[in-house]
This record gives sequence, structure tokens and C-alpha cells, in this order.
Amino acid sequence: MLFIVNALIFIFIFAPLVIVVIQSFTNENHMGFPPESYGVRWYAYVMTDDDWQNSFMNSLIVASIVAPLSMIIGGMAALGLDRSDFRGKQAVFSYLIAPMVLPHIVLGMALFRIGLFLDTSEGFTLNATDSLWFYVVAHTTITIPYAIITIGASLQTLDRNLEEAAQILGASYFKTIFFITIPLIKSGLIGAFIFSFIISFDEFIVTYFLATFNQTLPIQIYSTLMFQLEPSIASISTLMLALTALLTLVLMSRGQLVSFGKIIK
Amino acid sequence: MKANKRSMTLLLPALVLYLITFTAPLVVLLVLSFGRFDKSITTLGFHLDGYIKFFEPTYLRVFFDTFFISVYITFFCLILSFPVAILMRRVQPFMKNIILFCVISPLLTSIIVRNSAWMLVLGNQGIINQFADYIGLNDVLRDMGLISRFAGLPLMNNVFGVVLGTVHVYLPFMVLPIYASLSAINPSIEESARNLGASSMQLFRNITWPLSLPGVIAGCTLVFILSMGLYVTPVIMGGNKVVTIPMIITGLVRDRYNWPTASAFSVMLLITILFTVYVSRLLQRSVKV
Repeated sequence: MLFIVNALIFIFIFAPLVIVVIQSFTNENHMGFPPESYGVRWYAYVMTDDDWQNSFMNSLIVASIVAPLSMIIGGMAALGLDRSDFRGKQAVFSYLIAPMVLPHIVLGMALFRIGLFLDTSEGFTLNATDSLWFYVVAHTTITIPYAIITIGASLQTLDRNLEEAAQILGASYFKTIFFITIPLIKSGLIGAFIFSFIISFDEFIVTYFLATFNQTLPIQIYSTLMFQLEPSIASISTLMLALTALLTLVLMSRGQLVSFGKIIK
Repeated sequence: MKANKRSMTLLLPALVLYLITFTAPLVVLLVLSFGRFDKSITTLGFHLDGYIKFFEPTYLRVFFDTFFISVYITFFCLILSFPVAILMRRVQPFMKNIILFCVISPLLTSIIVRNSAWMLVLGNQGIINQFADYIGLNDVLRDMGLISRFAGLPLMNNVFGVVLGTVHVYLPFMVLPIYASLSAINPSIEESARNLGASSMQLFRNITWPLSLPGVIAGCTLVFILSMGLYVTPVIMGGNKVVTIPMIITGLVRDRYNWPTASAFSVMLLITILFTVYVSRLLQRSVKV
């Protein structure tokens, strides 16, 4: 009984994704299931079309900068929280992970406001809205909580004696961090990197506020979707699915999926 | 002591970044929410226009729609999560990892991708409707006047579609906390209950369910909060037929530049969320005897 119920739930989870994958290989002009003929024509289309190419590159650039940035800043914060003891530490932790529970729509519009302010302010006019650097800033804020929790989890399992041994043998504070701590929490760092990459790559609502012409992939999908349900959506979705599945497998092999469970707890 | 101070400086980059990209924007929003919007011009001050607007019947209705949709989503997530969490606890570690992969990997898949997938399944030309046409169900229903001549089964562009699409997205957020609480239960408690002759139903009602409550509360809080702030699924799956507070806020900002009203609505949304977190804390305390 339990198995049957679970089987149905997993069908519910995966069936739509499987259908998208099958649909993406249609050779027809319109969506229709099952497709009457198969081919890779829509893959060729999304890979050669300028709009799709640009939005893909934008997403890739943004995520590739966000991931290391969030890993470094989040990693430093996680280490700081792990190694220090002060009053209000719990409050600082809650503050640092707050962007996770704050509705992203609110954060998105608030950042949009700041962007507009930067766009028009006298003296130091920066093009903030519709520029990739501002997407990077916004996404980094969103992804840091995930990095802090993932790296924090791996710091907790670290054997502190090894660091102490290095320091007794004369290693400085920073030498200990670089040669002992960082190699030991490598899995956590990789986890933080990949989570941040995926979250940034998939991010919709915050970018939706900031973007007008410089679209990212999720926004391009959305605007195409609102216009018409074209098979190109299925193809690009399948490519995104493949990328995330690949990265998720890397996470699993590093034992980091469990730490994602901790994020939610 | 010196190391302590050094470690604290490691927090600085994150705190400085947050000051600019998290705290400042929210403060700006709070200030704007007390502004006034007149003839497309925003003036700051201490006006309650936006807040008063929130309590107009039209908007209050949208708020309650959003609220109840989120309640449905939370409820269905809960029902679907329990069997998965129970199974995860029973199987071998290897199988458990596979289930964990199945539960978490969709979470890392773009919401847009998953919602467009559901359009293929539930839409008027979707798979289910094609099948219903094929077996003649839709013709029967059309003859009975239950669905309109050109439409299929109403599976999306309504509350049902929105709830289904969102449950699909947020299910993992419910499964994981429940699983965490379940795995903390000592198996010998259940075993003794069984040995003393408890049926499966009794076992669930008197042991498993009460002991899983911390996870249930955590999961429900999370799913509810996330659902209240969700924009994309109601737009895609609701197809103009479902209106939620995030949609109103986005429309006010993007189409009408009405920042004061949009900010006031956002503040009300945040208050609702903070209140939910507060209630959830109280509940957590009451179950942790």
C-alpha cells in the first residue's frame, strides 16, 4: 500500500518532466503529445536563435560569477560564525539567512527601486537596472544563505584537533585556514558553489523586476510562454533539466544533498 | 580572544553586502509605503493611503484568496509528504539516498520549467484533455453543458491548476522536515506499541503523528510562507483567472509605477509572514512538552 502510494507520488513528481523531454524532440510546428514526428529541429533553433543565445549567455555569465562570489563571502561568514563567540550571534545568523524566507518578490521590487535610484542619481550614475552586474549583486544576496548553511554544516563535522595541531607546529591563523581548514571542507565549498550556481541560473522573480532587454534564460522562457506555447520552450527546458541533473549528481556524489536537507530544517 | 576577533571580521563582507542589498532596500520600501501616489508622482511623507487601500474590499478579497490558496497548497503538500517520509524511514540507506535524490532534484529545477511542463499536461491541448477527447469524455461533458464547447476539462487557469503546480514545486520543503522528525523517533517505541497490540491506524494516530508534529509545523510554515509570496506559478497556471497579492504588487510596480501602494502591500505581506512565523513558534513550543 505504502509503495503504491509512493509510486503514484513519484509519477506525479516526474511525469511532467518526462513529458517535456519527449516533447522537446518534436519535429512539428506546434506542441502536441505524443509528437507525430521526431527530430532535433527545435534544439537547433534554440541554439542558433539570437534571443535564446543571448539569454543563455547572460544566465551563464551571471551564475558563473555569483557561484564563486557567494561561496567565498558565504564561506567567510560561515567560518566567522563557527569560530567566534559573541552576544547576538544567533541574531546575526538569523539575519544572514533571512533572504531565504523573505518573499523574493519583495526583495526583487526593493532592489529594483535601489537600481532605479542608482540609474538616475546625480554624480555617480551607474546603469544598474537591466545590467548584468546588478543581477550578480542581487543573486549573490539570494544565494549567500545557502552557502552559509552548506559550508557551516561541513565545518561542524570538521575535526578541530587538526587545526590545533597545525597551530602548535607554528602555522599562522591564515596559514591554518588555507592549508588545513579549506581542504577539509572542500565538499561543503563545492556544494555551496553548485547550489549558488543552480539557484542563480534558475532565478526568476528578482531578475524579472530588474530586466528590460537584458534577459536571462528563465525570463526568456517566461516571455515566450506568455506569447505562445512553442516547442522551443520544451527544448530549452530539457537543456536546463540536463544541466541541473548533472550538477545534482555531482552534489550527491559529494554527499551534499543531505546538507540541502539541513537548509530546509 | 584575538582569534575570536579575527574570526568576527570574517563576517564583515557578508554584513556589508547585506546592508546595501538587503537592509537598505527594505528600509526604502518601508519609507515608500508611507508615501502618497498622486497623478503618477510619488511624494514621501507619512500617509496611510497604501495601507487603507489594502483594506478595500477588492484587495482584501485578493489577500484572502492568496491566503486560502496557500492553505490548500500547504494541506496537499502535507498529505503527499507523509507517505514519502514514512517510506524514506523504512528503506535501506541506499534506497533512501535514491528517494532523497528524487525528492530534491526537482527542487533544483527551475519553477518556470516545471510550470511549463504542467501546461503540456493540463492545458486545453494538454495530454489529459487529448485523452479525454479521444475516449469521448469531453463530448459527453459538453453535451451535458458541464464544460464549454471549445474548452476541455478545466484543469488549469483556475485555483486547481495553481495549487497543483505549486504543490509540485514545494513538496520537498515539506518532505524533508517531516522526515527529519520521523527519523528522530526511537523505533523501539513503535515496536512496543505493536507488541502491545496497536493497529497500524492506532500506531499512526497515537505515536507517529504526535511525534512528527515538530517537522509538520516546520514544513507547513515554510510551504505556507513561500506560497504567500509566489508570483510565477499563479500567473502561468492561473492564466488571468487567479489573482494573488504578489501579482497585484508586481502589476503596481511594473505597469503603474505606483510604489507607495505596492510597498504598503509588501509590508502587509511581510507582516502576515512574520505573524505566521510567530504562530509557528508558539505551536512548536506547545508540542515540545
